[in-house]
Amino acid sequence: MKLIQVKLSKDQIQKLMLSTIGFFVLIYVYFSFFLGPLNASRDSMLAEIDGLQGKSASSKSELIKTSNLEKQANASTKRFAALKALSPEGAPIAWFPPRMKTFFANQQIDKATVRLENSVAFKETDLANWMRYNWALELPQADFSTLAKAVAALENTEPLLSIIHINIKAMPEDPQFQQVTLSASTAIVKR
Amino acid sequence: MALHLNLLHEEILEQRQRQRDPLKIGMMVLGAVGALMVAYYLWNAYKVLEIRTQLGQAQHDWGKVEPKVTAAQKRSAELNGIISTTKVLDSMIDGRFFWAPFLEKLSRCVAPNAQLTSVDGSVLDDGKISVVIEGLAAGREPRAAAEELRQLLLEQLGQSYSDVKVEFKALEDLDTIVNIGGSNMAMARFGLNATFATTATKPTPTPGPRTKIREPKS
Repeated sequence: MKLIQVKLSKDQIQKLMLSTIGFFVLIYVYFSFFLGPLNASRDSMLAEIDGLQGKSASSKSELIKTSNLEKQANASTKRFAALKALSPEGAPIAWFPPRMKTFFANQQIDKATVRLENSVAFKETDLANWMRYNWALELPQADFSTLAKAVAALENTEPLLSIIHINIKAMPEDPQFQQVTLSASTAIVKR
Repeated sequence: MALHLNLLHEEILEQRQRQRDPLKIGMMVLGAVGALMVAYYLWNAYKVLEIRTQLGQAQHDWGKVEPKVTAAQKRSAELNGIISTTKVLDSMIDGRFFWAPFLEKLSRCVAPNAQLTSVDGSVLDDGKISVVIEGLAAGREPRAAAEELRQLLLEQLGQSYSDVKVEFKALEDLDTIVNIGGSNMAMARFGLNATFATTATKPTPTPGPRTKIREPKS
């Protein structure tokens, strides 16, 4: 085996050390300022692509879900529109009493008076756009049979109206007729 | 053996030393490593450019889909709101107490020898119904006529409602004599308190024709 003896001068040793330091600086600069940012950029772009692909995949299912929901909600949508149509535009105090007067007049009960007692918001969060209106309906002169038919018709034609109190008193001077007071609550869309 | 003289000994040694110069070798190695590193960097940069192109395509595709998805999500929320609101409204509608069938039942229970002077009914907070009925009954035994009305009311309400209770709140004889069908009869004033729940069977909202009329007792 042949041994090569290398004798380095002081100047050469200095250069060698300087080169070694330069090498390490080069490595550091290469990884920190070139390859590192490049890899970071690549990773972030890959993550972004993954996110977008995930969103695209979920969006397809979302679109299908909405389409199915649209079909399922068909009946509810129609029913909701029908219930909403029971509340005309304008303040309820403006249209509800005349509507009731006309209704009872059509039922052969005249002189009906309707008063708004109060209105409150519903506790149910699903009914945030609806208000409960409490009304007092006074029918000063009604025959019992006519009244019962009118109440039946009212309950059938006004699904959002609920009679919560009924008071029927015979009129002493005319026992054929009764004096009736109804307390009713209605659900009306907020306008 | 011929004698071989090396007259350029010093020059050859210098040349050999120059060739084995560690600084030179180090610089060559450094250059080679640098070249490899540059090549690797360029390869990576090329890959990154490819990924950037893919990202651009994905963003373009998403840009086309996003408005549809946003609209679908909005519509979905709206539909869910409509469904739940309709459900709540339907439960309110179905949970109503229909007074017309009750009035019909009440009218069936009142015989010609009885007269109701007041009916006061309320839907209580727990969903039960409370009705206070006041009236007059006439007959040889006016208290029995009032009791018959109570029994009949209990029976009639029991057919459609649950937890039916019909109790006398008051029952008192009156001094007044009334003439019914040519016969003089004594009178009694009664007050009935009826309570019931609507959970048993759901009454039909429209009253039927009056079919049963109780015969008066003389």
